[in-house]
Amino acid sequence: MGLVTDNLPGALLPLPGGGALLTAIDQVVNWSRANSLWPLTFGTSCCAIEVMMATGAARHDLARFGAEVARPSPRQADLLIIAGTIVKKMAPRLRTLWEQMAEPRYVIATGSCAISGGPFLYHSYTTIRGADEVIPVDVYVPGCPPRPEALLYGLLTLQKMIREGTTLARPGEVRKPVLAALPDGMTLHQVRAEIAELVQETATVDRAAAATVGASYASASRV
Amino acid sequence: MATSLLPVSGQALDAQSLVAKIQKLCPAAQLRPDCDRPAVKVPLAHWPVLAQQLFASADLLFDLLETHTAIDWVQTGQIELVYVLTSLQCGHHLTVFVDVARDNPVAPSLCAVWPIAQWQEREVFDLFGVHYTDHPDLRRLFLDDDWQGFPLRKDYADDFMLERPS
Ligand code: SF4
Repeated sequence: MGLVTDNLPGALLPLPGGGALLTAIDQVVNWSRANSLWPLTFGTSCCAIEVMMATGAARHDLARFGAEVARPSPRQADLLIIAGTIVKKMAPRLRTLWEQMAEPRYVIATGSCAISGGPFLYHSYTTIRGADEVIPVDVYVPGCPPRPEALLYGLLTLQKMIREGTTLARPGEVRKPVLAALPDGMTLHQVRAEIAELVQETATVDRAAAATVGASYASASRV
Repeated sequence: MATSLLPVSGQALDAQSLVAKIQKLCPAAQLRPDCDRPAVKVPLAHWPVLAQQLFASADLLFDLLETHTAIDWVQTGQIELVYVLTSLQCGHHLTVFVDVARDNPVAPSLCAVWPIAQWQEREVFDLFGVHYTDHPDLRRLFLDDDWQGFPLRKDYADDFMLERPS
């Protein structure tokens, strides 16, 4: 078992020769569910490698949160991680897999593609615009691809939602954090200019500073 | 000169002698100078014979059809078939371009020369609607069987596609 992110809810009463735990069954059940999520890894494109597999591997180590038991079988999984583009031909398969999972089941959508269609939103003849057009999604992890840390954060968010009992109760409900339209008074042109400015700023390298950082790394690795 | 990662038994030809050899086999083949690898344009009528020769002739030995795809030129009314060939035995590469008419895109299948062409031709059929004669199993590959139209053609449109707001 991995890192348990909070204690079992309840009160422990010390008694002679042992103790008694006062708690609610619901809380114990939710607590254990949250700490032993078994993911069904539904990877269809780049996000599968960049996020899902990287998170499961040694450096980021999903096992720390009790969610390392990746199941290719929907019957044995309770968390569906959608990592990648969903196309028209894949959508019914995704729906089938989700329907085959036993309740309670949770869904995390990682990456722009699974959230909204991402880079394939326009002029695509086949990309589904978000996995939530097909199945209900609990947690969205944005990015193209997201960092593995982002998926860990999404997992912790889901654990919190399970403990609080706020995961999606009704299939078909969509809580989309992505705005389909730009906010009032903002144009695509402005957004692009802003991004260009940020990219310019972060892409400028201060060579002198970089040299000192490099030197400090080099000396640190010698120690 | 192109290099191969695999053990090489034959003699790799440089671009000039490769193209010269091919033009000797098929005088109608023209050099495409705008490519970074040796590339020739071949008229459709000569292509099946030349393909067989590329595969079999002792100093060319193109044993691998690396990829086959197409380009849709709407303005000129042509679909340009692209064959990327490699010789694992000699270590040289060649790209062949063949034009077919856009309104009647029929080309001979090369399954008999390179069996892998079965899959690649199915993909080009699926997305560009090129028909290959003598293909044993020309069905849709990536799209649903009942799909209408060929989505990688430049004039393809359907109700599902979204226009980008300006
Ligand atoms: S969101 Fe980006 S990285 Fe992820 S599957 Fe889509 S294109 Fe690939």
